[in-house]
Amino acid sequence: MLFNSLNFLLFFPVVCIIYFAIPALKWRNLFLLAASYWFYMNWKPAYALLLLTSTAVTYVAALGIDRCAGRRGKRAWLTASLVLNLAILFLFKYYNFAAESLSLLLEHLGIALPMPEFGLLLPVGISFYTFQALGYSIDVYRGQTAVEKNFFTYALFVSFFPQLVAGPIERSTHLLPQFKVKQRLDYDAVMEGIRLMIWGYFLKLALADRCGTYVDAVYNNLTQHNGGSYLLASLIFPFQIYGDFAGYSLVAIGAARVMGFRLMDNFRRPYFAATVTDFWHRWHISLSTWFKDYVYIPLGGNRVGKARGYFNLLVTFVVSGAWHGANWTFIVWGALHGIILCIEKFLGFAKKPMSGASKFFHWLATFCLVALAWIFFRAETVADAGRIIKGIFTNLEMPYLPLADCMAIFMALSIVLFKECKDEFHWNIHLSDSRYWVVRHTYIAAAICYILLFGVLNGDQFIYFQF
Amino acid sequence: MKRLIYSILFIVILLFAFDRIGGKILWELNKYTKNRILVKINRIENGLSESVVIFGTSRANNHYVSSILSDSLELSVYNAGLTGSRDIYSQYISLLPCVAYKSVPKIVCLELSPTDYIVKDDDPYSAIRRYALYIGMSEQTDAVFKEAGYYPYYQISHLYRYNNTAIQLLNGLIYSRNEKAEDNGYIPLPPPPHFPDTLKNSDFVFSCDSNKVKYIRKFISLCREHNILLVFTVSPVYLIASPNEYGVLKQIADENGIPFFDYHSAGLYLDHPEYFKDNVHLWDKGARLFTSVFAHDLKMYLDSVGFFKQEVE
Repeated sequence: MLFNSLNFLLFFPVVCIIYFAIPALKWRNLFLLAASYWFYMNWKPAYALLLLTSTAVTYVAALGIDRCAGRRGKRAWLTASLVLNLAILFLFKYYNFAAESLSLLLEHLGIALPMPEFGLLLPVGISFYTFQALGYSIDVYRGQTAVEKNFFTYALFVSFFPQLVAGPIERSTHLLPQFKVKQRLDYDAVMEGIRLMIWGYFLKLALADRCGTYVDAVYNNLTQHNGGSYLLASLIFPFQIYGDFAGYSLVAIGAARVMGFRLMDNFRRPYFAATVTDFWHRWHISLSTWFKDYVYIPLGGNRVGKARGYFNLLVTFVVSGAWHGANWTFIVWGALHGIILCIEKFLGFAKKPMSGASKFFHWLATFCLVALAWIFFRAETVADAGRIIKGIFTNLEMPYLPLADCMAIFMALSIVLFKECKDEFHWNIHLSDSRYWVVRHTYIAAAICYILLFGVLNGDQFIYFQF
Repeated sequence: MKRLIYSILFIVILLFAFDRIGGKILWELNKYTKNRILVKINRIENGLSESVVIFGTSRANNHYVSSILSDSLELSVYNAGLTGSRDIYSQYISLLPCVAYKSVPKIVCLELSPTDYIVKDDDPYSAIRRYALYIGMSEQTDAVFKEAGYYPYYQISHLYRYNNTAIQLLNGLIYSRNEKAEDNGYIPLPPPPHFPDTLKNSDFVFSCDSNKVKYIRKFISLCREHNILLVFTVSPVYLIASPNEYGVLKQIADENGIPFFDYHSAGLYLDHPEYFKDNVHLWDKGARLFTSVFAHDLKMYLDSVGFFKQEVE
């Protein structure tokens, strides 16, 4: 079920009403678990078995870790959990890519070895829930979280519908305890949740999907366009992906908030970052902190030699790129970010105080670098990305400019930019958070009207669903 | 709980007020927009006075030069082809206002495409959404919206009726289009940077949508009821035609005695990529040459059925 579908707009209020109507916490959680599985099974019911498998494996492994007294036994349980979960992820997400790449490599070496293909669809959100469940196993192993004995509570933690398919990737230490407290219907929480959801819908429907019409027109027909169009599409895509993913995260956080839960922030105005290092403190925060805690630090982090520290950083970002998809484009995207971060670390940018013109220059340079890397993320192949970059530098002509589409993008972008500036620079303007009741409510009604008028309401998928 | 109910009620009332006032404002603004598509839809909805009207998608819009047809047939011609009207439902909705007024066209040319009868994965009715602002104007138009399942949503929200057109509407208020380039509905396409270089196969999968066929028959009946001479046409493409691509439509034409001018299967211009903007659109030079051929063929046909004699009588 998509957040931007009519089904969800019916499903969500019904779930909320029933949820708050149930008096006992135990039954509430069971109902929420059933609703979450129902939500997930709307795509392909059989794939709920994978979700259940991942849940069962990590649940049993955590119990095993808890019951084992010795370190070896604990490590064996953790290894079993990691291997089984990552094997499922590999089979469904990476097998075909790995087989194809291996076949190609062998072909270059003169060995013809056709590999069998695995023809199943990628289960929605598999990378998100697998990482969330693995995070729990590791936390239990490290003793950072207490083992959850109640299977249904734990299953709800893995499958909680607002964040099930595209995050934020929650930590057991943060979300699990919230399922043990009876959430009450709180006026402020409900209104805050609704405001977050509406802003999320705005980002998705009025910004991302509008940007998508232009970006798709160019990126899906590269031969029909010149360097000017490549440049414009590549400057618009960063806002499409931001609107799409931050929009999803906000709807998820808002939906959870309505029910009384608090999910972690996933985005903090990433395009205001003055360094790429800072960008990663603001972009997909739940994933970047996951990689920091469970990949970068176990590799040694920066408490090793300088060269090893750079290597660790690079490896973390290449793995992060691969997490996004089974394609060389994502791996190059991750590697690019890793390299830039290493350079920034080497030059000491992260610690440098910046202000005025210097900060503006760094901000501009960061945006350009991030946008350049996004070209690889969006292109179908690395060769296509190369063609786009070459076109931008060698064939910069008048771009394709559908005026109406550009106007819609400009309007939405202006609103988003205003809101982001207001939050980033703490402008003393209050609309959604005004102390006046009428202003707050008018803001909600006006935002809904804008979406009704200018939103792309055809129920397009969210980009991050494929990950 | 009470506070929450009051808040939700207040938002709903405010939303309703914004929606209805916004709908009225947009209805008025729509009269002044200069956006090409909306100007054309407004013209069609207010009734056309021309004797010959061409319906179809962007291919109709960009392929039939009204003045050439008009000179050849000595009849007034309007090209009502609309970019994005990629199914028979929107052609049918376009025809409805043309027969609702006193002045009914004498000849209707319907440029067909496989999307007028094949089953497609996406929403088959999506192209009619741009007519949503005219809901409530005619029962037949409303019936199509009801069948599509859109009707209740457009009844609930008047702003939503403009979801497909609002941005074009505003854009048309700010920028004025180049009216000089237009020729009674015909919009010429500029030459492309590169002519199409590969002759690809047409890639449609031909599975017949019975509801679309029903609407083709309704289109025919509507023309017949109003004594309109209906002509089916398919203009050239730079594609290798699949066998029987238009078989279903030709059969319907045969059953109803409708002439079918097929320049697609005939392969007109297959050795002239320089007339095409892309594989399915002629640019102005190609369109002018094609319209001359079509005007000649149509005139011959009209002569053969004694259309001009009837006109004189």
